[in-house]
Amino acid sequence: MDIRSVQAARQYAETSQAIAPRAQAQNGPDVAAMARDFAATLKAGEETALSAMTGGADPQSLVLALAQADLAVQTAVTVRDKVVEAYQEILRMPV
Amino acid sequence: MDDLFSALSASSSGMEAQSRRLRFVSENIANADTPGYRRKLAVFEAVVQGGGRDTVQVRTGPVRLDRSELASIYDPGHPLADETGRYLGSNVDLVIEIADAREAQRSYEANLKMFDQARQMTRSLFELLRR
Repeated sequence: MDIRSVQAARQYAETSQAIAPRAQAQNGPDVAAMARDFAATLKAGEETALSAMTGGADPQSLVLALAQADLAVQTAVTVRDKVVEAYQEILRMPV
Repeated sequence: MDDLFSALSASSSGMEAQSRRLRFVSENIANADTPGYRRKLAVFEAVVQGGGRDTVQVRTGPVRLDRSELASIYDPGHPLADETGRYLGSNVDLVIEIADAREAQRSYEANLKMFDQARQMTRSLFELLRR
């Protein structure tokens, strides 16, 4: 009982630290999280392809993982193109 | 965007369930002449995945065996035959199995169609963005 209450107190202390508001509030979308998500999707696709080759995964999940990775890459490429295009537009601006 | 990806995974789970059903059908057909074999039935159940987004997928549950009567086959020369010359065969009906296989195939195709549809919708969205 004692141990449990001590653990609970410690957990509470950790949790209150974790959920405390940060000094600088973030505005707009979290680009780093999006990049991590993208990398995770690609990694999952590769892992599924690998296990499908060794007989661990069924073809349906392989197709699903590949389609998701394909769409993720297309999203990234499209967004990158748009960003580069906007940047070049700014560079070409007569000052 | 997330909805389209959820549609992809839902139809993928449907394809997986239908292929398991087709596996049971082929097992039943393979064992149609096995004495005492009871045909396997695929049981489908809904699965809710993901905390907030709640994608409902499908999976096959534990195998259920058909409890209907086994066929009584007259063959006095068979090692399992009793004194009346009869033994219990399987309760597999090939007509039912073929119909079940065709149904599994059609459902699989429907799931495949939905998969392709969701992918094409996502793709055309990107095409629009690229212009």
